[in-house]
Amino acid sequence: MPNDKKLYLCRWYFRAGLALLPFIWTVNAIWFFQEAFRKPEYEEQKEIRKYVIYSAIGSLIWLVLIVTWVTIFQVNRTSWGEFADNISFIIPLGSP
Amino acid sequence: MDFNKKTTLFRLIIISSVLMIGNGIRTKDKMYENIDASKACFRRLNATHQIGCTSERGGSTGAIHFCASQSDLDFIIKNGTAPPYVPIIPTNLFTSENIARLKKTPKISGLLVYPSESPLQHFTHEQQCPNPASSLPGSCKATNVWNPHGTGLLYHDIPFPVFYVESVESLTFAKECFEKYNNFSFGGQRDRSLCSLQLLSFMYAATNSSTCIRRSNAFTNLNPVRFCDPLGDQNVWAALYPLVKGANLTEPNRNAKYIIVGARLDTTSMFDKTAGAVSPVTGLVALLATAKLLKEMTTNDNNYEKNVLFVIFNGETYDYIGSQRFVYELLRGKFPAKSGDYLPEITIDDIDLFVELSQLNWTETVVAHYLNKPSDFLLKLYANKGGLNLDEASDGLPPGSLHTFLKNRTELPSLILTDHRNGYLNNFYNSIYDNATNLNYVYLNLSKSSDSVVGDNIQKHIQNVSTMLAKSLYSEITSKSYFGEKIADLQFIDELFYCYLEDSNCRVHQAIQKLELRQQPLSLYIGVELAPHFITTLVGLTLGWVTGDVVGEGNANCTNEPKNYALRYYNMSQSLDDLNTTLCYRITMNFTEAVSPAFIIDGYDWSSGQYSTWTESTWGDIKLRIFLKPSAAHENMTIAIGSIVFIFSLIFVYFVKSRSHILFAPQLPTLAPTNC
Repeated sequence: MPNDKKLYLCRWYFRAGLALLPFIWTVNAIWFFQEAFRKPEYEEQKEIRKYVIYSAIGSLIWLVLIVTWVTIFQVNRTSWGEFADNISFIIPLGSP
Repeated sequence: MDFNKKTTLFRLIIISSVLMIGNGIRTKDKMYENIDASKACFRRLNATHQIGCTSERGGSTGAIHFCASQSDLDFIIKNGTAPPYVPIIPTNLFTSENIARLKKTPKISGLLVYPSESPLQHFTHEQQCPNPASSLPGSCKATNVWNPHGTGLLYHDIPFPVFYVESVESLTFAKECFEKYNNFSFGGQRDRSLCSLQLLSFMYAATNSSTCIRRSNAFTNLNPVRFCDPLGDQNVWAALYPLVKGANLTEPNRNAKYIIVGARLDTTSMFDKTAGAVSPVTGLVALLATAKLLKEMTTNDNNYEKNVLFVIFNGETYDYIGSQRFVYELLRGKFPAKSGDYLPEITIDDIDLFVELSQLNWTETVVAHYLNKPSDFLLKLYANKGGLNLDEASDGLPPGSLHTFLKNRTELPSLILTDHRNGYLNNFYNSIYDNATNLNYVYLNLSKSSDSVVGDNIQKHIQNVSTMLAKSLYSEITSKSYFGEKIADLQFIDELFYCYLEDSNCRVHQAIQKLELRQQPLSLYIGVELAPHFITTLVGLTLGWVTGDVVGEGNANCTNEPKNYALRYYNMSQSLDDLNTTLCYRITMNFTEAVSPAFIIDGYDWSSGQYSTWTESTWGDIKLRIFLKPSAAHENMTIAIGSIVFIFSLIFVYFVKSRSHILFAPQLPTLAPTNC
């Protein structure tokens, strides 16, 4: 694949991830990691590296946010009562 | 060639069919032996608590420990080396002290209970003051509780599964397995295979009724599940005289006054099996016998001043579900249903007198409990008591449907007839042991002609109570004394006890309907409102039969009579001695909902405590099975071998792949399509 195509793809993956799609950023960061840091230098590599780093940072922030929320929710699910049930898609059987 | 092909095909068919037959049972099922006919303890909930038992999600397992005595149970709690255990205990060890200990120790994962060989002194897991929240305040004093032996275990949240097993074969099987694998050198139990039990009774609901009802209706839930169902069934009622008048019986008979004769229909127990001989069957039979006698006394006598409503309340065990709903409808002018155009509206103020028949075991004295003394009616009871001893008590009202009525109309003249003055004489209240033996009931199998019954028995006692009550009611509604010879029907009473305690396919049930029933008593647990309750229909038809009027020969035209809301027509047998001759009965019996108002009021405040809030959790499967659990070393070995084989297979595949060019001739590359 030509290098300009790679840059195009990487850029669009990054932009798509902006639509609250952290998994696309994660895929982007992993997929283009080789291109950005391992391959011998070429013209578009700097750009690609930039997007790879941004995507990686973005997915990390998302990871932190999700882990925090899941922890808060699981710890407080019982005490939140009705509110917690209303925002649940699956209510576990036999637990408070 | 062709021949060969055919034989090969033939062989394949034979081999595969043999395999199919051989593979009928899967290996994982071959490991287990099911124990059938076990009765689980399940979970119920109210506005604040969850009570009852549950297992782990996939079932709780533990090694069997068969206990014959308290020391066996103590031994395993103290010295068990291979927990978790499932003790199998006789009913006499099922005490609140033992349950408290089992809850505390982490060594126990479940419990099996079997009938104790020695007779028990008492076995009641109801509270000492039944229905404390819904009874009148102050009616149960700490110094004089109604159910003195009550452990209250029914209302405990037990975190492990409990099953009751009656089957002797299953128990022997479990005991033999225990003797063979478990019952020696307890120090070394960890190192050998142990006979174990798996108890599955996983309950879906948790916390309380409002939570589980809310979750059952959650619309965001991707996997909609019913977590719990309200307890509920139907009340049965019938009027002595139709509620309508006129030539065609279509005009509502308004402004009448009523006497309610009430009894309850339900009981409960720790396990999914009920008995209920003293409570509720004695009261229920007395009500039906009274209704029959009163109907016989008043036939062709339409000169009445008051009507009598016979009401059988359901769900009274669980905070008076039936009477709460009944009074709720009385207060809102909704009783009877369809009242207004077709039927008179009956309100709580139209009730002149309320007589409740509670536990009436055969004792020397019948006690009339009251708060508002119904002086006139008491005098009538005294006048008609015959050979009975009648006594009064006004210091605190025993639990009963009357509490619900008095809460809503404090001055209602009313009384409860019981066999006890202070605490219950029934030491097995709301338990599996409140059976025919507890009542000393022996079936007499009478016919109409055999009137000479030797000796006293419970049937005669109920006959006396019913006769006294029917005569008193007669003078209450006609304002004149009864001078006839009629007394309550002993054969009918005997048959009713037989129906409810021993065989539901009895003569009374054959007389009122045509279905062949199973030769065992029906459960008297109220259950959930969605499930059918055959017992309620049968009791209803029985009440309808004894209070109904014969309008002609039994035939197909009978049930085609024009229906109105006051009357129904049924073909029923003429008498218990002549089941095959049917007559057409016009009956006033009907049903009303016995589901707590809490579940029909929109936005009911669950914390108000105004109405019963009992629900029953749903569950997937209830199962009890026995299997041989390998020792820890054996289990570790199995998983180790499995893991090693897995790793070796990975290495093997890797080597085969890396040397695949030896196995497969390399394909010659064709021209590359592009230059990437």
